Amino acid sequence: MLKTRFFKAELETPFVLASGILGLTASSMIRVLDFGCGAVTTKSFNMEWRKGHKAPSILPFENGLLNAVGLSNPGADEMVREISQFKSRTNRPLFASIFGRTIDEFGQVAEKIVGLQPDLIEVNVSCPNVRSEFGRPFGDSPQDTAAITRLVKNIAGSHIPVSMKLGPHGPGIGLMAKACEDNGADAITAINTVGPGMLIDIDVRKPILANKTGGVSGPAILPIAVKSVYEVYQAVKIPIIGTGGVTTAADAIQMILAGASLVGVGTAVYERGIEVFHELAAGIENYMTTYGFKTIEDFRGLAHE
Amino acid sequence: MSDLMKTYPILKIIDHGPGLRSLYFEKTFEVQPGQFINLWLPGVDEKPFSVSRITADFIEVSIKAYGPFSQAIMQCQPGQRLGLRGPFGRPFSWHNNALLIGGGIGIAPLRILGDTLSQKGFNFSYLIGAVTAHELLFPEEMKRQAATRIYTDDGSLGKKGRVTADIEQILDSEKIEFVYAAGPEIMFVVLKPILDQRRLPYEFCMERYMKCGIGICGQCVLDDSGIRLCVEGPVLNQDDLKQVTELGSVHRDASGRRVR
Repeated sequence: MLKTRFFKAELETPFVLASGILGLTASSMIRVLDFGCGAVTTKSFNMEWRKGHKAPSILPFENGLLNAVGLSNPGADEMVREISQFKSRTNRPLFASIFGRTIDEFGQVAEKIVGLQPDLIEVNVSCPNVRSEFGRPFGDSPQDTAAITRLVKNIAGSHIPVSMKLGPHGPGIGLMAKACEDNGADAITAINTVGPGMLIDIDVRKPILANKTGGVSGPAILPIAVKSVYEVYQAVKIPIIGTGGVTTAADAIQMILAGASLVGVGTAVYERGIEVFHELAAGIENYMTTYGFKTIEDFRGLAHE
Repeated sequence: MSDLMKTYPILKIIDHGPGLRSLYFEKTFEVQPGQFINLWLPGVDEKPFSVSRITADFIEVSIKAYGPFSQAIMQCQPGQRLGLRGPFGRPFSWHNNALLIGGGIGIAPLRILGDTLSQKGFNFSYLIGAVTAHELLFPEEMKRQAATRIYTDDGSLGKKGRVTADIEQILDSEKIEFVYAAGPEIMFVVLKPILDQRRLPYEFCMERYMKCGIGICGQCVLDDSGIRLCVEGPVLNQDDLKQVTELGSVHRDASGRRVR
């Protein structure tokens, strides 16, 4: 009932492990798939390894998580090794998430991984946590985002789809998505974490995150994510990976009604445990039975009618 | 306590020796032996630590000076506020006729485990070792509680040699039905085949670089098992370890690079 085709990839369920969650190693990603996730997205990586920000870098609060991991990653060579390992152990779908400090670097990382045949390249132009180092995210500028889209799509060629991961900020996510579509993007991932935000310890009277600010995820951002997907669906024809705050089956259904083809799951792995995918699947199947929907397709985007 | 960050004042500090101290905090939450907490020193960093003891009144965390964070902990004063969150992870299970093996700072979680086994009326003995006498945690307290064998690399206390030096002879001459171990990974590499060969069940309390402590960052996931050490560990048993291929060979640093 939940089997989903996304470009050439066959997913057992419409759920995608969001980038930044358990996506560092082949063993980790395979385990998540074994728990009923349909596809996994790697941790975002660039050419050179990065330690990221000091801790606390991931901070739970009442309605989600605040994080400023700072794009830590072992670098493209090491991730190529993990993705190859993954491919040697399973043929289930893997999406490679890439970023660059410069526009050129996006191309260099893409070059590194095209040979591995990831089922999708997700291009992270919207991390909100590296401003002090990188300046404003490329994803705030339609021109930069368009340039990166063209560059990566040229390298990926016709056989590997490219999804641009956008944030809810900047000049409007619909407009940004259109810029991506016009420049060759095959899909849009919406959204990245929101903010940045801040939490302060009231006793020591200091921001808790070492980076002071971080991106907000989890239940707190669901309404922003649903609205963003709704807006992107109206702006473009390419499919959407709807990510942001999905914790329950009802949340995932909202994403699909707003227009998402696949549903990203991240913070819910913390909120509900790694078993969350079974819970989401059962809830959606129940919903589909109640309303007589045979496939996800049957109710995608219905909130627009 | 919870996963949310909250700061608490240090009630008391006991220095065991140079670069080795215990911090005491008011007991505001329960901890099971083997579980860990994240300790945040505002302005410095946050790191995971085993709890070494819990009483009706306080929680004790024992720390050895090692990197910049633990060095900074050595400068802390009573009354200073540190962030605590947790407890995290799967604790030790409880067994009778056990041998508790601790190397270096790995002795810390054995203290709370010994207290618990003692309260339950279980038989057990300690086998503890360190580089030198002043790096050895709790030798007197442990001796009062149970039979305790002590080893130091330099022979400054107890027998000279590694903590595992006489392990086979101990296992073969005494009624030991379960083995707990905590300490440097090389200790597990030595112990594992010896225990497997004797079909003795065991639990090792392991360490890996951790960022979140809540099972999402993936930093502490073990090859090839996919085990998240912060959630499914830090205590792993002989069955868990069957699928772990990186024991004693590889771990991952803050970037996620493999380090040998």
